[in-house]
Amino acid sequence: MANDKHIDKQGEVPTQEPLNPKQRSRRDFLEGAGATAVAGTAIVGTAIPGLGISTANAQQSNPSSNPKTSISLRVNGRRHSLQVDDNWTLVELLRDQLDLTGTKIGCNRSECGACTVLMDGKPVYSCSQLAVWADGKAITTVEGLAQNGRLSPLQQAFVDNNGPQCGFCTPGQLMTATALLNNNPAPNAEQVKQALVGNLCRCSNYSAIVEAVVSVADRGGVA
Amino acid sequence: MSEASNQLPEPFNIDGPLNTIGNTTARVDAVERVTGEAKYSRDIKLPGMLYARVLRSPHPHARIRRIDISAASSLPGVRAIITHETAPIVWGAGSVDGGRQYDDPTKEGTQQRRFIFNNPVRCVGDSVAAVAAVDRTVAEQALKLIKVDYEELPFVLEPEAALEPGASLVWPEGNLCPDFRHNYEPMVSNLGDIDAGLAEADQIFEDRYETSFVHNAQMEPRCALAHWQGQKLTLYTPTQGISNCRHDTARDLGLEDHQVRVVCNFMGGGFGNKNQNQDADLVAATLSKAANAPVMLEYSRKEDWLGVHGRWPTVQYYKVGVKQDGMVTGIQMRGYSGMGPYRKNSGGISGMDAYACENRQRTIYPVYTNRTTSGNFRAPAEPHGFFAVESMMDDIAYKLGIDPVDFTLKNMNRPTEARPYTNFSLDECIALGRDQFDWATRRRVTPGSDEGPIKRGAGFSFMMFRAGVGTSSAIVRVDSNKMYTLFVGVTDIGPGAKTTMGMIAAEELGIPMSQLEVVAGDTDRCPYSVGESGSRTTIQTGYAVMQAAKDLNQQIAAKGLPTGNDVLIASATPVPTTDGKIRQCFGAHFVEVEVDTRTGTTKILKYTTVHESGRIINPQTAKDQIRGATLQGIGQALHENLLYDPASGQPLTTGYYRARHLTHLDVPEIEVTFIEVDDGYGPFGAKTAGEAGIILAPAAVANAVSNAIGKRMTSLPISRDKILQVLL
Repeated sequence: MANDKHIDKQGEVPTQEPLNPKQRSRRDFLEGAGATAVAGTAIVGTAIPGLGISTANAQQSNPSSNPKTSISLRVNGRRHSLQVDDNWTLVELLRDQLDLTGTKIGCNRSECGACTVLMDGKPVYSCSQLAVWADGKAITTVEGLAQNGRLSPLQQAFVDNNGPQCGFCTPGQLMTATALLNNNPAPNAEQVKQALVGNLCRCSNYSAIVEAVVSVADRGGVA
Repeated sequence: MSEASNQLPEPFNIDGPLNTIGNTTARVDAVERVTGEAKYSRDIKLPGMLYARVLRSPHPHARIRRIDISAASSLPGVRAIITHETAPIVWGAGSVDGGRQYDDPTKEGTQQRRFIFNNPVRCVGDSVAAVAAVDRTVAEQALKLIKVDYEELPFVLEPEAALEPGASLVWPEGNLCPDFRHNYEPMVSNLGDIDAGLAEADQIFEDRYETSFVHNAQMEPRCALAHWQGQKLTLYTPTQGISNCRHDTARDLGLEDHQVRVVCNFMGGGFGNKNQNQDADLVAATLSKAANAPVMLEYSRKEDWLGVHGRWPTVQYYKVGVKQDGMVTGIQMRGYSGMGPYRKNSGGISGMDAYACENRQRTIYPVYTNRTTSGNFRAPAEPHGFFAVESMMDDIAYKLGIDPVDFTLKNMNRPTEARPYTNFSLDECIALGRDQFDWATRRRVTPGSDEGPIKRGAGFSFMMFRAGVGTSSAIVRVDSNKMYTLFVGVTDIGPGAKTTMGMIAAEELGIPMSQLEVVAGDTDRCPYSVGESGSRTTIQTGYAVMQAAKDLNQQIAAKGLPTGNDVLIASATPVPTTDGKIRQCFGAHFVEVEVDTRTGTTKILKYTTVHESGRIINPQTAKDQIRGATLQGIGQALHENLLYDPASGQPLTTGYYRARHLTHLDVPEIEVTFIEVDDGYGPFGAKTAGEAGIILAPAAVANAVSNAIGKRMTSLPISRDKILQVLL
């Protein structure tokens, strides 16, 4: 039954476009050469940057020599063609380059769901998608839910039902719930919980969130 | 939600019916929260802003022989690097001894200062150095180029082991934490005569309880954006108290308060771990000064887990004397709280004060270990303490063949002539909850008596918790267009403080919310507020709002509304008292569980809560405070734990999945009923709500599991392996 369709959090594994290193600039090259000068220093420390697990010797890569790729994508209906570092994640592209800071980074490792956006209508963790994978895709963020200054029925339901406590998980909850409602305009509480299981809320405002989503059917749907 | 009763224990006149208070009101900033417009600290960008990262210790205990930053310094794009050698800045709020709230002589006397970078490093995750660079990638690469020569030292993880002779020392003075007067003594409280109380008993019961380290795990990881303009520092930082953060930061950096501006308009939760200022604030400020540019410091989720703090793990030994009729004659507790390497907060273990027994002795050892730091988490001293003492009493009740609710009604604290309360509604909370839950049907008179592998049982807990009044400030203004502006130094950390303050002002001013703007979250725009900790904002700042609004009303009555460009302004900093009476909030929880004894899985079937938090200002947000706090308590009861590998001292469960936080699918319906009371104190009689729910949940759930399986669960979390183990 279509209404029971499980919203796959990770979506399909995107086809990875061949990365194009041709965009590397002269400046990148020069800075790369500059970094080589310090590359000879032996690194033997075991300090762990950011508590990463590796204690391997430090990489000697150049900071600005990251390979770049040109991509084009639609974000909230607007087309963008731009060059992205190959190591940028989608959430970095959205927040840092496009100034769409509504999408939040809670864990940066696919645990919490605060960074959920829609990619071609499916909810994905944007912390765990490379920006280059978004080439040719349509992305919707929380900023794209309201139309012409009017809140979507789901957003209005969150306002009326106290959906956000601290509000940090709210954008992710809204995006996953939007995808659910697009597939199933009148989900019951159990279906909402199933769909939103990948969106954590440490304020534990879960019941209010589910009540908000369930109430949307009475408001005439998500659209 | 229902209003079960409207008891008015003391005469208190309200001028007519309330218009705003008591009506569910959408948050004043709800639209920003659902559209992504809300700017959290990490969303703010300043021109020329640098990004910072912190290098952290991979060892549980090590002395830094040498730090070589030469390679990192010469990496293009690196703008500043600071270490314990170059930035010996004391983080006053980072430890009780020498801590924030004490005078300079006290601070000077301490031998155990906590710096933003410490040597030796005393836990995995202790800060070693910090880098500011043009972007995150460069900052992270620079960390890898910092060469640290560590001399690894022996470490100790468990608080009891840390006090044994020959234990490796976290600090040279010993592993018992000093208090703020530098005394290396346990916290002792003696009431009555414990020896006489125990001698008087017909039976003595003894048991050992333990509780785990539970991380606050707020969704927004710690960050700080520091920006100097001349001698003035602006901090955009997630904080539970902009005024406290400003004062702490100014003192730690040798500045005057007015030289620091703290801005926090939205923040993604804290539950106690964003109280005061944080090391991130000081690190960002120091890097920013060194680099002469704004600096954004961001912690990763794992850094937040290890570099911030959570609830202290405890071990608690109880000895309780009881008469044959169930009257408790003496309660003795010896407890150990694992504080990590810095005693950031008290290490308290509460709970036994909820009993009327006159002979009570409590001895708590706050102990240093080489785990991560322990600090405040929503009701800092309560959930673990109430879990243990109410499990103890529940166990005794069943062993004596007494209903635990009756046992409680016989033994709980009540007002006396010597200890009057502003009002006391615990009896009603318990009676109503017992009724609503159908306690008599759901509990197993003989624990574990269900046939078959799937067993049901019910548990009960009760609490009383501070709801005292205190000082705070507010300013309210009206212009010639009858537009009102309320200036309050609150931050909405989740419970809805901006909205609550606005509702109190609107009520007192007699205006609709649409005529009022609430300005909050900025120390340069707002007066002092007490801070979003200790469930104090509604009571204290709310009362100041009420008084400022009364003043403005009087001004308007005397002078009329302002005209032209004129405005009328009123400010208030009241210092209310409770006339010598104890003011508390009350609650009772009842829960039914189903335990699959083949797998050790616990499922919650029914959860009934009854709370008295005075008058409820905003019913929906108040209800969600109780529901959310209760769920956090269920997580503490069943899942959450920061485990360490005893051989390596490495933390194993840093993160949401590993610590097994509740998800949408784990959430039962939490029924919430408020008994509304106006005791004549606080704003319109409002009391504490934010911390109340979490206090009862671990005890109620643990008692229910024990009732289902017939074995006492003495260790939190009650994970599947522990249930299977006691059933072997």
